[in-house]
Amino acid sequence: MNIPGRSKGCMGSIMVVDLSARTIEIQPVSAKVYRTFLSGMGLAAHVLYHRIPQDADPLGPDNMLGFVSGLLTGTGSLFTGRWMVTGKSPLTGGWGEANCGGHFSPAIKRCGVDGIFFTGTSPKPVYLYVDDNTAQLRDADSIWGMDTVETETLLTARHPGARVACIGPAGERLSLMAGVSTDKGRMAARSGLGAVMGAKCLKAVVLAGSKRIPVHNKEAMKHISRICNKWVQFQPPFLPGFLTAPVGALLRIMPWAFTQDGLLYKVLLRKWGTVSMNQISVEMGDAPVQNWKGSNSNWGFFKNLSANPDLFTRKEIRKYHCYSCPLGCGGICRTKGRHPRTHKPEYETVLSFGGFVLNRDLDTIFDINETLNRAGMDTISAGHAVAFALECFEKKIITLQDTAGMALEWGNPEAISWLVDQIIARQGIGHILADGVAKAAGRLGKGAQRFAFHAGGQELAMHDGRNDPGFALHYSVEPAPGRHTNGAWLYYEMYRLWKKVTDAPKIPLVYAKARKYETGPDKAAMGSANSRFLNVLNGSGVCLFGAFLGIDRIRIFDWLNAATGWHMTPEDYMAAGTRIQTLKQAFNLKHGIVPKDFALKGRPVGHPPLAHGANKGRSIDIDTLMADYWETFGWDRKTGRPTDPQIAEVTDIS
Amino acid sequence: MAFFITSDCTGCTACKSICPTSAISGEKKQQHAVSDAACIDCGACGRICPAGAVANPFGRIVSKIPKKNWVRPFFNLDLCMACNICVEACPANALDTALQKIRDLHPYPFLVRESQCMGCGFCAQACPVDAVTLEKSAG
Repeated sequence: MNIPGRSKGCMGSIMVVDLSARTIEIQPVSAKVYRTFLSGMGLAAHVLYHRIPQDADPLGPDNMLGFVSGLLTGTGSLFTGRWMVTGKSPLTGGWGEANCGGHFSPAIKRCGVDGIFFTGTSPKPVYLYVDDNTAQLRDADSIWGMDTVETETLLTARHPGARVACIGPAGERLSLMAGVSTDKGRMAARSGLGAVMGAKCLKAVVLAGSKRIPVHNKEAMKHISRICNKWVQFQPPFLPGFLTAPVGALLRIMPWAFTQDGLLYKVLLRKWGTVSMNQISVEMGDAPVQNWKGSNSNWGFFKNLSANPDLFTRKEIRKYHCYSCPLGCGGICRTKGRHPRTHKPEYETVLSFGGFVLNRDLDTIFDINETLNRAGMDTISAGHAVAFALECFEKKIITLQDTAGMALEWGNPEAISWLVDQIIARQGIGHILADGVAKAAGRLGKGAQRFAFHAGGQELAMHDGRNDPGFALHYSVEPAPGRHTNGAWLYYEMYRLWKKVTDAPKIPLVYAKARKYETGPDKAAMGSANSRFLNVLNGSGVCLFGAFLGIDRIRIFDWLNAATGWHMTPEDYMAAGTRIQTLKQAFNLKHGIVPKDFALKGRPVGHPPLAHGANKGRSIDIDTLMADYWETFGWDRKTGRPTDPQIAEVTDIS
Repeated sequence: MAFFITSDCTGCTACKSICPTSAISGEKKQQHAVSDAACIDCGACGRICPAGAVANPFGRIVSKIPKKNWVRPFFNLDLCMACNICVEACPANALDTALQKIRDLHPYPFLVRESQCMGCGFCAQACPVDAVTLEKSAG
């Protein structure tokens, strides 16, 4: 295997695997591409824009599936263990991306490449094995059909020390809610890319390389990491879990808002993980309830007490750290269900199978979490599918005849578990639901689309745009829509970008809460900065929870310069973020996406407004928010189309 | 840059056996060769070579060191942040994580497969907070 010369920080090449022709090739990437698009998601956008033909079927051989690592991964920086799966999404028909932690990101670079891209379709199940000397497609007949935990257990026994990313039965059955799993339950879940992997008959990617990752200035990297670590280790005692709900209620009641400091979130995440936000979010109106029609009024304190974060840590037998993470928000828990162990359910999972379906049974949530992880399915989308089915049953669109006599009632743990099993197995009503709510609504007809909430086909996450309109904007306006990691006003406050980036608007320490719901140039600038900075994070492999500490505490731009030897300013990096955003938008336009079609409709933007709860009476002017956002990039206000010179600037790089 | 093997090689295969990346090839009793592309400069081949036939990337012959004198990583758990960077940096897959502190559920690194450790020191080099030190094994 010939590996061309490396540059600093990155490995200088990608691996391209043609599953139809069974060829594996190492292809060099020019230094100019790295400087223009960084690595990670930016590199993937560059590769996929040029190599996926216009009319490619997302589940056909022409689609490409990329596994990419970040520019900062393995350089001695912290919070930089994220890896990303990319491709043309079968859910939206446009740009697809999913982001995951674990230990797979450094494994990609230690094989001597910054990304592994698959094209073609294998006629029979295979897995890719790469070590320092070989890269081979190996037969996967014997593991096809296994769940993600069984697959990873078997492959790591066969290849000691290797890191594995794989699909489960959901991906094999081409469920458009399928994701890619690593570390026996960490999921790159969104955009339906597990189905793309399944369609390619690619069961797993097994990486066992030991290459060293070149760094320009190791001592500078360590120095910056030590500064960052001091902030992470600052951990004063915090409230007991049951008092998180009153904190959320207080945030709801106050007529003014404080600029949120990510240091507080860090304290919560280190103590409990993402479940720390369960009750706070419900009480303050951040968590959607009952398929977007409920609120904290019908999922109040005594009901959401079942999501008390202390109940999760009581089941925790050890913490779980992703690669290069000093925080450790993950955990491994005991469960009472069908599986003895599970990764600690994340906030998104708990709310998807808690308040979103009015379920108060925590044991069911733990069991569903592990069941979906093993199936390799996105818990957010699956939660939406279940809530959609419950509402369709309530409205008599789905009847007892469709459910083999199972009454699909809100909050019935038995019905919810049964539905999840049906969806995974693609049996009966599960077959209708297994490709997401947009497709399910089309299959059911009878007006079911009124209860299917998505952005361009992608189910929305457990953060309510009626509480923070930044979520609604980023659900609607991003090339890969519907994802909570894209951005929000809250994220912008925590990034503290104005401390380093000159054109980032500063947020006052205290402001009237009503300002959050106004539109205007400052909101567009915040949204644009969120997207551009997120592209820098995804190009570098940085975890959002690290970025929440604030750019003055987690010095990503300094790390990037120290790792690469570049002398770029924060504005230069943000400009790279702009280029990546333009390229992803150009990808969507090339594939026939009309950006305006991703705009949220119905309940998630307050149409009609809620009559009760924290978000009572709120409607979001999503059209104005989107138009203002596009204008900050210099794109057309009405269509979201970049200008021809802007598209040429990002597509002519080679 | 990579280590290389001189004509003093006796073909004993000791280097080939210990190389964590299988970068060394050669038949028994014949001169071995190091693959530039696969070598990660861990130096294990030089430390184990009984014939003094391995040179570092700068051309200097690496002296043999008896295995009992090879350094091993020791972890200062007061400094360690359980970030796993050292575990992933180990080319020999000798490190793993486990619960080690009372009432602290974070998984800290330890030398789980001591016989596989080659004393390369990559773990110590990689640690951002200098929580890994290299010392001679007590044994």
